[in-house]
Amino acid sequence: MKFTLHIWRQANRTAPGRMETHAIDGITGDMSFLEMIDLLNEKLLREGKEAIAFDHDCREGICGSCSMMIDGQAHGPERGAATCQLHMRSFADGADIIVEPWRVGAFPVIRDLSVDRGAFDRIIQSGGYVSVNTGGTPDGNALPVPKPHQERAMDAAECIGCGACAAACPNASAMLFVSAKVGHLGALPQGQAERSERAKNMVAAHDREGFGHCTFYGECEAACPKSISTEYITQLNSDYLASAAKAVVKG
Amino acid sequence: MSTAAINPKGPRVYPAGQSPRAWADTYLASTVGQKILVGTTGLLLVGFLIGHMVGNLKMFSSPESINKYAYFLKHDLGALIWVARGGLLALFVTHLVLALRLRLAARAARPVPYRVMKTAQATLQAKTMLWTGVVILAFTVYHLLHFTLGLVHPASAAAPDDYLTQRVNLQQAERNLSPGSAVNYLDLKDDAGRHDVYAMVVAGFRTPYISAIYLVCQVLLLVHLSHGIQSSLQTLGLVGKRFTPAAVALGWAVAGTIFVGNVAIVAAVWAGYVK
Repeated sequence: MKFTLHIWRQANRTAPGRMETHAIDGITGDMSFLEMIDLLNEKLLREGKEAIAFDHDCREGICGSCSMMIDGQAHGPERGAATCQLHMRSFADGADIIVEPWRVGAFPVIRDLSVDRGAFDRIIQSGGYVSVNTGGTPDGNALPVPKPHQERAMDAAECIGCGACAAACPNASAMLFVSAKVGHLGALPQGQAERSERAKNMVAAHDREGFGHCTFYGECEAACPKSISTEYITQLNSDYLASAAKAVVKG
Repeated sequence: MSTAAINPKGPRVYPAGQSPRAWADTYLASTVGQKILVGTTGLLLVGFLIGHMVGNLKMFSSPESINKYAYFLKHDLGALIWVARGGLLALFVTHLVLALRLRLAARAARPVPYRVMKTAQATLQAKTMLWTGVVILAFTVYHLLHFTLGLVHPASAAAPDDYLTQRVNLQQAERNLSPGSAVNYLDLKDDAGRHDVYAMVVAGFRTPYISAIYLVCQVLLLVHLSHGIQSSLQTLGLVGKRFTPAAVALGWAVAGTIFVGNVAIVAAVWAGYVK
């Protein structure tokens, strides 16, 4: 298969970027999108040019490193898949493909397609944890968790923090990420003690990083490689209201 | 805790970070808090729209009925009408200002735009909320100028010998105007001496361009509410995944009811059913 790639090149955080066009041949449909970029980079290196910088690690959809806006869609046209799980058979032979980094003010571009997602780390630091003493592995049924609660927690815990929600959101809101963390810990008994503080602090951290607001477009849900539902945002909002009410009642 | 001496009879002293001001800054000023306020004010405005629409359906009953109702609202309520007007204005302004503030912040959240950006499942209604909202604001101003202040268009007798013509002729005789001259909406009076809302509405919607403006704006209101109602319910944390389709259906049902009720009046005037 043959493709014409239009890729964003940017030398560093402050340099102005531009789109660069590359033709690539000899791609098979079974290659992942990242493998195609690998081939392109080898070609660029052979020609003595600078390789395209992009984030990647596990290449099996669990690390959340890869981040590319492909033809205007976060992680490309495949639903419920990260860029590494996107295969070239999803594109028509000879297609023009536009590749851009995540464009969110809170995710500054480091180089080419690689962005700094430290904002998500700072949001996690503000409340994405439970304060418990750790020790040995607890007994299996020492702390009973009802099956539906466990499923709910696991569905949210699938979040790999890739940033596609904020990248795909027309408002550049990372509310799906925040809600997945709040929803994950809020569904489990260990997370109850800090539940209302967590909702308050994580939303405050989200706003501090300069993300936008949620208007339930549902784009995040469609872009999420783990298909996390906007239902968690509804849950977050109800936790947030409960937190506000608790602050009034208990001071 | 504050180290200042606390006078038990004095004003309540709050520890740092726990004053009502700090609470409002934390909860109401966040993106989620502002969105909750936009949603709540929006739902309250929908409540007003339902009441407004139901009241206006008295057009189908008799001139007597709607004129009496309008008289009740304007005169029998006394100062309460100003409380209601003030409340509505506050809701409207809060809804608009916060929605615009959030939108500006969201624009700032993506300083460099995408070359290409496709949406996967965002509805047209959701994407056009800002623009439908702005047009509805303009329409609200027009609507007030038209029916509340009577500044847009005067009533004139057109059809031979119907209710409106009779009312207009009466005013012309009373004010010694030449036959055929127009009469301000607010001067139309019914037999009991009340402001004749019925004749005013008929005069308004008989004018094609005015009906067209109302119809177009009602369509935009339908579009705005079809997203607004369900999104507000989700923002308030009231519907989970299971009930989201029900919230969407409810949004369409409420928006549709308001649309049908309001458009029915315009259509009935046009069709000559209300005359």
